[in-house]
Amino acid sequence: MFKVIGGFFLGLIVVGVLAYTYAGSLMFREIESPFGVEETVARIQQNIQGVGNGWALSGLRNPGKAVEAAGGNTLPVMMVEACSTKYSGPILKDDSVRFLSILMPCKVSVYKKNDGKTYIGMMNAGLMGKMFGPMVGDVMGEVAKDQEKFVKFDPSKPAPEMIKGMPGAATGGAGGGAAGGC
Amino acid sequence: MSVRPKLILSAAAIAAMLTALVAFAMPAKPEAAPAQQAAATPKKESDSTADHSKFKELQKNFKTGPEVTEACLICHTEAAKQVQHTKHWTWESKDPKTGQVRGKKNIINNYCTAVLSNEKDCMACHAGYGWKDSSFDFSVQKNVDCLVCHDNTGTYRKLPGNAGHPVYKRREFPPKSGKFVEAVDLKRAAQSIGMPTRTNCGACHFFGGGANGAKHGDMDSSLQHPGKYLDVHMNEKGLNFTCTECHATKSHEVSGSRYNTSAAMTGPAHIRGKADASPAACQSCHGDKPHSTKHALLNQHTDKLACQTCHIPEFARNDIGTELSWDWSKATIMGPDGKRMVRKDSAGRRSFDSQKGQWKWESYVIPEYRWFNGTSTYKVIGDKIDPTKTVQLSVVGGGPNDPESRIWPTKVHRGKQPYDVENNYLTVQHTGGEDATALWHNYDWQKAIGTGMKAANLPYSGKFAFVDTELTWPITHMVAPKEDALSCAQCHSKNGRLKDIQGIYMPARDGKHWLDVIGWSLALLTLIGVLVHGAIRIYSSKKEG
Repeated sequence: MFKVIGGFFLGLIVVGVLAYTYAGSLMFREIESPFGVEETVARIQQNIQGVGNGWALSGLRNPGKAVEAAGGNTLPVMMVEACSTKYSGPILKDDSVRFLSILMPCKVSVYKKNDGKTYIGMMNAGLMGKMFGPMVGDVMGEVAKDQEKFVKFDPSKPAPEMIKGMPGAATGGAGGGAAGGC
Repeated sequence: MSVRPKLILSAAAIAAMLTALVAFAMPAKPEAAPAQQAAATPKKESDSTADHSKFKELQKNFKTGPEVTEACLICHTEAAKQVQHTKHWTWESKDPKTGQVRGKKNIINNYCTAVLSNEKDCMACHAGYGWKDSSFDFSVQKNVDCLVCHDNTGTYRKLPGNAGHPVYKRREFPPKSGKFVEAVDLKRAAQSIGMPTRTNCGACHFFGGGANGAKHGDMDSSLQHPGKYLDVHMNEKGLNFTCTECHATKSHEVSGSRYNTSAAMTGPAHIRGKADASPAACQSCHGDKPHSTKHALLNQHTDKLACQTCHIPEFARNDIGTELSWDWSKATIMGPDGKRMVRKDSAGRRSFDSQKGQWKWESYVIPEYRWFNGTSTYKVIGDKIDPTKTVQLSVVGGGPNDPESRIWPTKVHRGKQPYDVENNYLTVQHTGGEDATALWHNYDWQKAIGTGMKAANLPYSGKFAFVDTELTWPITHMVAPKEDALSCAQCHSKNGRLKDIQGIYMPARDGKHWLDVIGWSLALLTLIGVLVHGAIRIYSSKKEG
């Protein structure tokens, strides 16, 4: 009996340690970009505009600007915000999952680290969606497929211009959503 | 259980897990007091004892810059002579240690490359009037430009093509841009003179290399109105330093030239006015033990590290950015229609121009670190090169065993530029101008190099190719608030900022395998000893009890 209970608790501890170690990397993804911060942002914006499925840019936020305004420094961070009513609509219409609006608009974060390289951070929409029932799972699965296209770059194409003229652009303040249909 | 409670529970679990992860993942930070914005510094009233607008010598409608200088010299009789001894006038500098004659006039860089044969353009940043070729007379006092440093109206403009003269007639600039630069009101400028402001220094030093921030990386127009985050000393709402607060000037000689950098000052802070000239170094004000006793360990770093290494964690900390490379081999590539092609990068900075080639820019640049003793060796025009290797256009001197050396942050600008394949030296090319041999006019390398080499008085074989070059600059501006200085682990780690610095032992970066084995073995033996000892104690107490 002692062995069974001991084994059970040992299993719990192992699962807990594994969850603690890997949960973050499962929920979120980080990939290295071959371009600088601005070019990565611009290429993601271009991809979002070209991916279809109702995706539209809804903001470009620079949280680092708020830190600078307060007198501090941070390496550059820019958040590209995008939304698709095709995906947001069903979730926003359902009272039981409307709280997931907290995840909207869809964000892709582009930032530089101390190694001087540029990285892209994204939510693992597919995995997270599965936790909230079949409808959300299906929607988020589709979002995850499109997210992959957001960060697929064609280096042979010239660098596009970063689109700043959107609500919330690079202000560090509230991002707008009107342009993105959310 | 219905779906909704399940969902809420799932969401709550995820939220709790994420909160815990974030809490554990984030390094603990000391609580910081809310940022307090210092009250805006009001514009200083002039404390000069003279109102130049009342001087009868300055009541004229000046037609040219030299006329203004002649008026200045009526009272400031020695000023021009003083200026004529400075690098701002001669564009020449002799290394006191090596004897090498450098200066803008003699070196060759990988931005615009060289001054020779391009004087009419380059002299927009000369503190003088009329230097258009080698015939310029450096002894004529009225050709000293007083206004470029002392005009306080902020309207004094010198443009490429005028050989250092200001804008006398309204002019479209850049050409065909539809933008116009107004003629300078010389009378107003002459009556509004004062100590140099950031605008005066920045007119050249912010825009070196032909674009805002291009050259230096730690100097650009963001320093015109900087916030605390960008520069604690120049912070407009704080100390509000101008350039001359640090670059103390004596007889018009400005301290702090990169040709003779004070790389390793020691001792306490200097007293302004003493005969040691108060060099433009951090130590001049802060001394070489600037940290409090609470952080005394940091003071032990000052014999190896320049202050800038920790306190300028990144440079070009803004959207302007700085240029990291210039590839001249892409110049003369025309667009599909055969005409000049111009492209910008994603942030709106120049990235390609058929006239000049291709550039790469970056913001928030992490410096490259080098030993530096204040002396750099430059490639001057005519120096031999080895084209099989990357040519070092400036080599920062020093090393770990040199007591005058410190580890400095640097900007390394990489380039590709033409060289004479038979004579093995970098070529001088005539770029600016509207004449038949100017590269930016006729897109003909042969003609441009031919004219440039003639001006340099060097033989040209007629054959050229492109070679990789590097130019290294020490970084010293854009000092961040102390809270944003590098943390210990940013250097003391295997892949930290100083991973490539040789010649010193750095805990956590360097290690000796055998020493690690001994240390860990001792730790393991200690652990075993404790466990065995504990087990014996438990065993014996049970046996006795």
